[in-house]
Amino acid sequence: MSVTVVIVDDHDVIRVGVRESLDDQIEVVGEARDVESAIAEILDKRPEVVILDVHLPGGTGAGALDVLAEIKGRVEGTRTLALSVSDSAEDVVSVIRAGARGYVTKSISGPELSDAVRRVAGGDAVFSPRLAGFVLDAFGAAGGEVAIEDDELDQLTAREQEVMRLIARGYTYREVGEKLFISIKTVETHVGKVLHKLQLSNRHELAHWAAQRRIV
Amino acid sequence: MDAVTTAPTPRVARPLQRRRGAPVWWRALGGVAMLAIAGVLAFDRWGGEDLPGWLIPLILFLVSLALTWSPLDGAFGQDPWRLDVSGLFRRDDWWRLLIGLALGITALWWFALWDYTDSMAVRSVVTTLVILLGLGLMLAPWWMRAIRQVSIERQARIREHERAEIAAHLHDSVLQTLTLIRARATDPDAVARLARAQERDLRAYLYGERRDPDASVATAVAEAIGEVEDAHSVVVDTVTVGDAPLTEDLRAAVAATREAAKNAARHGIGPISVYAELTADAFEVFVRDAGPGFDPRAIPDDRLGIRQSIIGRVERHGGHAEIHSSPGGRTEVALSIPRRES
Repeated sequence: MSVTVVIVDDHDVIRVGVRESLDDQIEVVGEARDVESAIAEILDKRPEVVILDVHLPGGTGAGALDVLAEIKGRVEGTRTLALSVSDSAEDVVSVIRAGARGYVTKSISGPELSDAVRRVAGGDAVFSPRLAGFVLDAFGAAGGEVAIEDDELDQLTAREQEVMRLIARGYTYREVGEKLFISIKTVETHVGKVLHKLQLSNRHELAHWAAQRRIV
Repeated sequence: MDAVTTAPTPRVARPLQRRRGAPVWWRALGGVAMLAIAGVLAFDRWGGEDLPGWLIPLILFLVSLALTWSPLDGAFGQDPWRLDVSGLFRRDDWWRLLIGLALGITALWWFALWDYTDSMAVRSVVTTLVILLGLGLMLAPWWMRAIRQVSIERQARIREHERAEIAAHLHDSVLQTLTLIRARATDPDAVARLARAQERDLRAYLYGERRDPDASVATAVAEAIGEVEDAHSVVVDTVTVGDAPLTEDLRAAVAATREAAKNAARHGIGPISVYAELTADAFEVFVRDAGPGFDPRAIPDDRLGIRQSIIGRVERHGGHAEIHSSPGGRTEVALSIPRRES
């Protein structure tokens, strides 16, 4: 059962590159190059996954955020994986908060990208090492802040921090599981919870926070 | 790249275009005429003896202000960039301006003739001031316009300056590198190295905090890893969490990190990842490659790289280093240095 995707990127070269690097378990059903065509294409093709570039022309100028706001609640079962060259905490955090299920950089390898697409399609979150680093910064993990209650939105639990640290160190989900003696499903659950916190936390200026919290 | 092309250039908001409706104007004039008739009737009814001497000039002057300001307001509203209004004025605008100025001068003249005090000195000073003030008020729209234009011009100059700086930076870096890359198109290693160095530079320019490496351990780690990337033509995925100024201990840890990354680049296969985390208690670094691994107990004693440059260096500063590896697996070097007040 192949996964259907729509690729949204304003650079033709990148779109071609992404399309070619995906394996044959993934079917590209559409492409778009700006906010308007992306919304039209997603609503028309209803893919399982949208691979969405963060910076896009058109719309109100907010790029991927415009697309995410527009398709929110209008397409059932479509999930978004953000893809960008950007390293800025603002870009990463805002696109996750707007509803993306993962964030990967454009230097990602073909097999890794295909895995990430399948993971997102399966409802899991995809954290690159860099995103994990931002999360640790933003939730004050370096400053020693730990959530006592599991459902505290503004802090990570000790276990969630461990998982984020290992992902930041370059471990795959499977390796994280082996290291912590937990199942890969449990790792996915932890990552999903962190994504949830990142999206719903009341720490409004998470990106700004990330920059501030760096100094410990 | 896309961050640059899609960032919208901020524009100065144009004032809303104002409509200059003659009917409204004539209605206002009608109102003024009614008020004038009411004034005359009142004057007729109660007599003018007790009327203060400044009242009539003041009323005249206010009418004159309304007459002179309104056409200027309309014309300036139409085009915020112009000081010279002649091309924007219609004929009735000119009439209003002219009548307004005439009324204003009459009002000031009237005031000048008014003998309100016995002291010649006081009268000459106060009258002069009032007349200057009146003329100033009548010319105020031009004055405000000029001030506003100075600030608009200054903003434009600042924007132009920023644009020139960005252009200069792109020219010195990206354009030069592209030229070099084209010249060396047949040498893939050189091209890859140039592209990597340029990418790092551009990232630092676009997203970086561009701190001084002495003031930021995160920048120091990034620079050390950059050197390793260039020297060994590898890509290292570097993530840092937390930041603080460099101390002697942290400097040693950064040097050990560089050695560990060098080892990974030399003996390991990619992808290589470096994770550095600075907490309140310690600075921890993990350098990891994707194989092929080795037996850490089998490091010969003469291999100074690991013993001296990594483990020894860290231990001299009160920390410890561990090497996790086995043949066929990944290798991870873990460094930890406690933070002491220094």
